[in-house]
Amino acid sequence: MIVVKDVSKQYGDFTALQNVDLEFGNGLYGLLAPNGAGKTTLIKMLATLISPTKGEIFYNGKNINDMDDQYRERLGYLPQQFGYYKNYSPKQYLLYLAALKGIGKKEALNKIDELLEKVALSDVVNKKMKKFSGGMIQRVGIAQALLNDPEILILDEPTAGLDPKERARFRHLLTDLARDRLVIISTHIVSDIESIANEIIMIRNKQLLYKDSVADICATLNGCVFETTIDYGQLEDFRKNNILLSEKQEYGQMTVRFIHKGNSEDEWTSVPPQLEDVFLYEYRDELEGEN
Amino acid sequence: MRIFINECKKALTSPILITLLIVFSAFNIFIIVSSSDHKEELKIVNEIIDKYGREITDDSLKQFEKDIQSDLLGLTEITGKQFESIYDFLDGLRFEEQEQYSDRDWEFFNSLQLKEMYFGMANSIDASYAEIDVQDGARGDLKGYGISGKAAETYLRENEEFAERFNEMVDNEEHKEWFFAGKPYFMHSFLFKTVFLHITIESLLLIVLMTALITTYEFENRTQLLTYSTHRGRKLMKDKLAASLAVSTVISLFLFTITLGTYFFLFDYSHVWKTSISSAFNWENPFPYVTWWDLSVGEFLVAVVVLVFIIQLLFSGLTFALAVIVKNSYTTFFLVAALFILAWLLPTFMPKSSNLFIVTSYTLSTLTMAVSQSFMGSSGLILFKNFEWMTISCWTIITIVFCTITYKRFRKMDIQ
Ligand SMILES: Nc1ncnc2c1ncn2[C@@H]1O[C@H](COP(=O)(O)OP(=O)(O)OP(=O)(O)O)[C@@H](O)[C@H]1O
Ligand SMILES: [Mg+2]
Repeated sequence: MIVVKDVSKQYGDFTALQNVDLEFGNGLYGLLAPNGAGKTTLIKMLATLISPTKGEIFYNGKNINDMDDQYRERLGYLPQQFGYYKNYSPKQYLLYLAALKGIGKKEALNKIDELLEKVALSDVVNKKMKKFSGGMIQRVGIAQALLNDPEILILDEPTAGLDPKERARFRHLLTDLARDRLVIISTHIVSDIESIANEIIMIRNKQLLYKDSVADICATLNGCVFETTIDYGQLEDFRKNNILLSEKQEYGQMTVRFIHKGNSEDEWTSVPPQLEDVFLYEYRDELEGEN
Repeated sequence: MRIFINECKKALTSPILITLLIVFSAFNIFIIVSSSDHKEELKIVNEIIDKYGREITDDSLKQFEKDIQSDLLGLTEITGKQFESIYDFLDGLRFEEQEQYSDRDWEFFNSLQLKEMYFGMANSIDASYAEIDVQDGARGDLKGYGISGKAAETYLRENEEFAERFNEMVDNEEHKEWFFAGKPYFMHSFLFKTVFLHITIESLLLIVLMTALITTYEFENRTQLLTYSTHRGRKLMKDKLAASLAVSTVISLFLFTITLGTYFFLFDYSHVWKTSISSAFNWENPFPYVTWWDLSVGEFLVAVVVLVFIIQLLFSGLTFALAVIVKNSYTTFFLVAALFILAWLLPTFMPKSSNLFIVTSYTLSTLTMAVSQSFMGSSGLILFKNFEWMTISCWTIITIVFCTITYKRFRKMDIQ
């Protein structure tokens, strides 16, 4: 079990995370937040690449930095930017990393075959990675994280660059893996984790916003999410009074999904809140700034 | 072990290394071959040693003189005239007469000329050495360099000790051993200055580059987040240091073998290995080469090779320490180059009346550049008997401390 205790991280004067408290047991955790929220910062601390400016992180009661290699040998990690050597084949690269992970050569060779099969790269095992597509590289990255059969698997935006078919396969793989280990994946794509995460973690304003199951998080908006159809001309007015989540154009009219707290009107249909709704609602300021 | 080998591979498979090794080897071979015109003439020394022994004694000189006399009779037979010396014959020889003599005759003339030259030099050893006044020379040096005060005192004190060593050397007759004549051939400076400096600078260049490459490899290829979060983690830097030292050894060994191999293949040293390096024939400058210890040519060569090798390992270590912090191989390379030059020039920034002037010459750069005069008391401002081992010991300590500090820092550093 990992415990993040009152952790803050500063880059010079800039505070990226402030007083974050978290607990992770076995299962799949989705770290869901928009760009720049501090997902990578948190993950790098969990991977011992950077250390907290304040606070500590414990694994089974021991500080992970003090545990040193004993912690890292249990860790599988895929960085957001997965670096690789252009002239290496996946097999060579995984062998190289296996050595660093302290895995014997024979054992590694078997494991590599198995993993490359799992990520559907069996037929390019010996091809140089410079000829790979982004999605293929990403899959090598996923295989790499699993080399040492980690107890803790941390993946920083693993689905970036994967096509829908691969995404689906990947979700399957993750559910499988999360049965008997701790899996943390970060993303800003809700659909990647909505259906598979045991818990969702959201960070806002450098602090922890939610750490709860999808259902519980959605429940915070119970009775506040509506859909209705309006004329195109009404849109501006509507936007002023409600928080718009999405809009769809149909037969010259707009179907809008929105949040309204307080008295509802008759022509509105109340709909069950989705995780996406919470995401758009909670980060409306950040997301507006981006557009 | 696999990690270590992987680290070595990063350097050894780099195209720059392979290309430069070939270019440098070719260049060194070219330099040696193009300066080897006189290699046949040098063989006369081997003949002399074969006939009269390595040591120059009164008896052997007498025998040598007799043999020259009988050669002069041979000269009379060929030319029909009597000469006191081959030089008389050669000086009086007119251009048209040259063709009268066969190639074999010329071979004989040349050999006799060389014998007379070596005989003449051997005969004048005592007189030449009697003229040398070590202390007087030192005072001249001080004036020449403009050194005064404490620095001058230190220098003169050391020189006094050297004067003793010089006298002891003369008494032992270490200088009375045959070697290639210095003034006409400059074999000592050719080997230990030209050739060695080439080897040293070239291997330093490669060693610094390769150490920087190994150390910063992950940061330059953007794989640092992966490698330093594995089981081995930041201890990988230890493997990198070991790999850097190993690769440095390989580079150094390669260049030494190729270059010195070529040198000794062309120049036949077989008879002079045991000759003292302080031989009177090893006299190229106003002052002969005189070592603090009784070293033979072979011993001196081994000592200098070992010295250069240690210097290279130290540079590898220093480069490593710098690269851990800088994390960019080219920046590291230029920093090391700049520091090398700066350290070499360091004494010139010091007051010439202070001992600092002397202390600041105890750098690896100075040691590298003056390697031909290692272990010598005849080496001007760095004549100090402790110069080599003191410089090496101090810089070994500095390197170890520097490496430890940067490694410890790296263990705690944020990796972005
Ligand atoms: N090395 C650094 N030095 C200074 N600021 C940094 C550094 N790394 C990250 N930051 C800042 O910290 C904040 C959080 O960055 P982080 O990379 O953790 O976000 P993220 O949630 O992973 O974003 P994304 O979804 O774009 O990957 C950002 O504002 C970023 O600019
Ligand atoms: Mg990120």
